[in-house]
Amino acid sequence: ANAEKLHMIEDESIDLYTVAFGIRNFTNKDVALREAFRVLKPGGVFACLEFSKVNNALFNEAYKRWSFGAIPLIGQIVAGDRASYQYLVESIEKFPSQTEFRDMIQDAGFLVPGKGWEDLTGGIAAIHKGVKPAR
Amino acid sequence: MAAPTTSIRLTRTALPTASRALARPFPPALRAYHSYEHDPTPPYPPTETAILSDALTHLPTHGFTHESLRLGARDAGYLDVSTQLFPKGAFELVRYHLVRERLDLKERVQFPDNGGKSLGMGSKIRTLVLERLRANEPVVHRLQEALALMSLASNIPPSIAELARLSDEMWFLAGDTSVDTSWYTKRASLSSVYAATEVFMTQDKSAGFAETEQFLDRRLADLRTIGGAVGSVSQWVGYTGWSAINVLRSKGMRM
Repeated sequence: ANAEKLHMIEDESIDLYTVAFGIRNFTNKDVALREAFRVLKPGGVFACLEFSKVNNALFNEAYKRWSFGAIPLIGQIVAGDRASYQYLVESIEKFPSQTEFRDMIQDAGFLVPGKGWEDLTGGIAAIHKGVKPAR
Repeated sequence: MAAPTTSIRLTRTALPTASRALARPFPPALRAYHSYEHDPTPPYPPTETAILSDALTHLPTHGFTHESLRLGARDAGYLDVSTQLFPKGAFELVRYHLVRERLDLKERVQFPDNGGKSLGMGSKIRTLVLERLRANEPVVHRLQEALALMSLASNIPPSIAELARLSDEMWFLAGDTSVDTSWYTKRASLSSVYAATEVFMTQDKSAGFAETEQFLDRRLADLRTIGGAVGSVSQWVGYTGWSAINVLRSKGMRM
């Protein structure tokens, strides 16, 4: 299905909407977030696991060199597909930071728990959560 | 034909960002100091407060567990999955209970004749501690769950912060106006006394918690004894030290 147009799902009919390592590939994330808001029941939860920005500057340097240097090369050697892995690291780079994505989730109408996200492995990935307000 | 469509497209993209900036609510003012004119800032946003206050009604039956949180979410008109609003789970329930009881202390204890001018500091503190402990009575059989949650490694800093705030609140309501290091020592000693008495209360089976009151009296008496002993020792050390220095100076040593 197209996450930006979930025409087969009725309004306010879903308890939990999860997306893992998918949302960075969406063309229009704001539209997808609003669609998630539409299909969730009041009180329903939107949970998103996605690659994000690393907190530590030194670790970030090493991580970027590994991402852009080694990963496409490994893709080429193991899977014979350098282009996909180049796209992968570029899409990670283009994805908004934790605070920006949290603001996008709030703009779609969700309430966020605490600071809105939880960093994994120093920010390589982050879990964002949003709760649709009750009526 | 090209010019009108580009101008329409510009306004359509400009409007969403303006309305986005207006729609996002300002975060509530987090005031770190006490104000007489304004109420204290609530610890949680309105939605979480609604769920937590409904969850408190389930504490006697289900205790400080995720189950109480889930039932509270249902009572407040949310879904079971809405408990995802609480990243620390049942500990948020403990923290809300602690903050609520601390803020209620002002209403529960009203000293007679303008802030209890005639009562001694010790008796006022005793009244405040006992009143705060009585506020635990509806959930005393579940309090050990709360203490266990507070002792988890990631929960220790916020728990100690809450204990410090409670101790500060009790001294403030007793009318403490000290501005030297005794400000810190008073709060530290009251924190330890309160924590010990609360742990004792969880296993107290006497009528009207009479044994807890006696335990508290013994701890407060200990504080007075230790305070007196430390004062005496420091006085002795000071006198002896200065005497020794003066004797050496009188013998000709340059000091």
